[in-house]
Amino acid sequence: MPAPADATADWPGWRLMHAIAARFVDWAVCSEGSSRSSALIRIGVAMLFWSRWAGELLLYRDQSPIGLFLAVNFFIATVLLFIGYHSRVAALWTGAVGLVMYYYFGFQLGREPWTHHHAYLLAVAALLIALTPCGRSYSLDRYLAVMRAERAGVPPPAERGNLWGLRLIVVQLSVLYFFAAFDKTSYAFLSGARLEAIVLWYYAGSDYPAGLAWPAMIVSVAVVALEYCLAFGLPFRATRRYLLLPGLAFHAIIYLTLPVYTFSATMVLLYLAYFDADAVDKVIARLQGIGLAGTAGEEIS
Amino acid sequence: MADVVSVRIGAESAGRVSAGHLRSFAFMAIAGFMIAGPVAEQVFGVQSAWLRSWTMFSAIGVGVIDASFEIRRPDGGLVPLDRFEMLGGPRDGKLKWIQNRVELASIITRLCTAAGQGADIRVRARQATRGGWQIIHTDAQNACAG
Repeated sequence: MPAPADATADWPGWRLMHAIAARFVDWAVCSEGSSRSSALIRIGVAMLFWSRWAGELLLYRDQSPIGLFLAVNFFIATVLLFIGYHSRVAALWTGAVGLVMYYYFGFQLGREPWTHHHAYLLAVAALLIALTPCGRSYSLDRYLAVMRAERAGVPPPAERGNLWGLRLIVVQLSVLYFFAAFDKTSYAFLSGARLEAIVLWYYAGSDYPAGLAWPAMIVSVAVVALEYCLAFGLPFRATRRYLLLPGLAFHAIIYLTLPVYTFSATMVLLYLAYFDADAVDKVIARLQGIGLAGTAGEEIS
Repeated sequence: MADVVSVRIGAESAGRVSAGHLRSFAFMAIAGFMIAGPVAEQVFGVQSAWLRSWTMFSAIGVGVIDASFEIRRPDGGLVPLDRFEMLGGPRDGKLKWIQNRVELASIITRLCTAAGQGADIRVRARQATRGGWQIIHTDAQNACAG
């Protein structure tokens, strides 16, 4: 008679769950690949930080000691992130600056726009990119590594690394989409009422536009359905091909119609995390006309 | 799950196994934190600045008032009343958005004054809430009476 543990192990459902869990762990923390997509996100995040806050943090804007301290940290961290010098430390530093802006300056000191979703998402993106090999490509770190290798007479290190930071970005995006949809799964939103209120708030004023009710309801249902699909469909290649354009169009429409600051641009940038890093590498090589010889090496540096 | 991790990285050296385990636990902890924020607020109703709930655009538009006005003509018929024309305000000015009940009451008073004594103005108004539209004024009675 088998021991209870053995009996459990023989249960087909258990074996299936074990296989799924093994595959998930393999995907989440064991996969390695090209560092170029991580590097592109690193550069993009630095530019989005500047786009959102550089103007507000110029040194003359807030000349208090804490304001100057924040501005100096902001600019040093983001410049290091952009050029890729000690890239992962710079990403951590940038993310920490973003969180200080969000929690302390936003919530504690009352700079309300800094408490918005886009601010948190940018800070988190910087922190998560610190967990990727974001400095191994398109960076000063890479340049210095190649110089060192040339001096030592050895091949340059491969532009590869563990991609678990990209996987966490995928999880973050799916959580964001799912709970954005979950919050809207109510009669108030699906009836179109909340969308109507948004239209009145930003466009129509207190005069309800004729014929708004049906389009508002249809768009509301479509938005919720799309967000659920994006949450569960984008991580998988088979469904991603159908959801990529709707997702990009969705964020483009939001960007054009509502004041979301850098939110849409950040989401679109982070979409890079969904793609196989080596596939992104191959596309980059093709774009540069250098074929597969120009892709990141297989050797793990 | 730790068993699974061991299977995946069991062939690696002891040092690498340790790094793999550490990475797995960190992954679970970070993913757990990501999920905890919205679950805390959206499922359990716990509100905290420390947790991000991803309830986007839930507060935008809340409080805005959708209002329509009609005035009774001498022949007894009701016709739409253009508040901008009656009060002489620009269509993209302050009159465009009625943001709360106090502003609505103020506009009604000004319309009644502009229309003159004995005017019969009917107002239909509803206010946006998180739960949808809430009717705050019906056209059952003359808004200028009383």
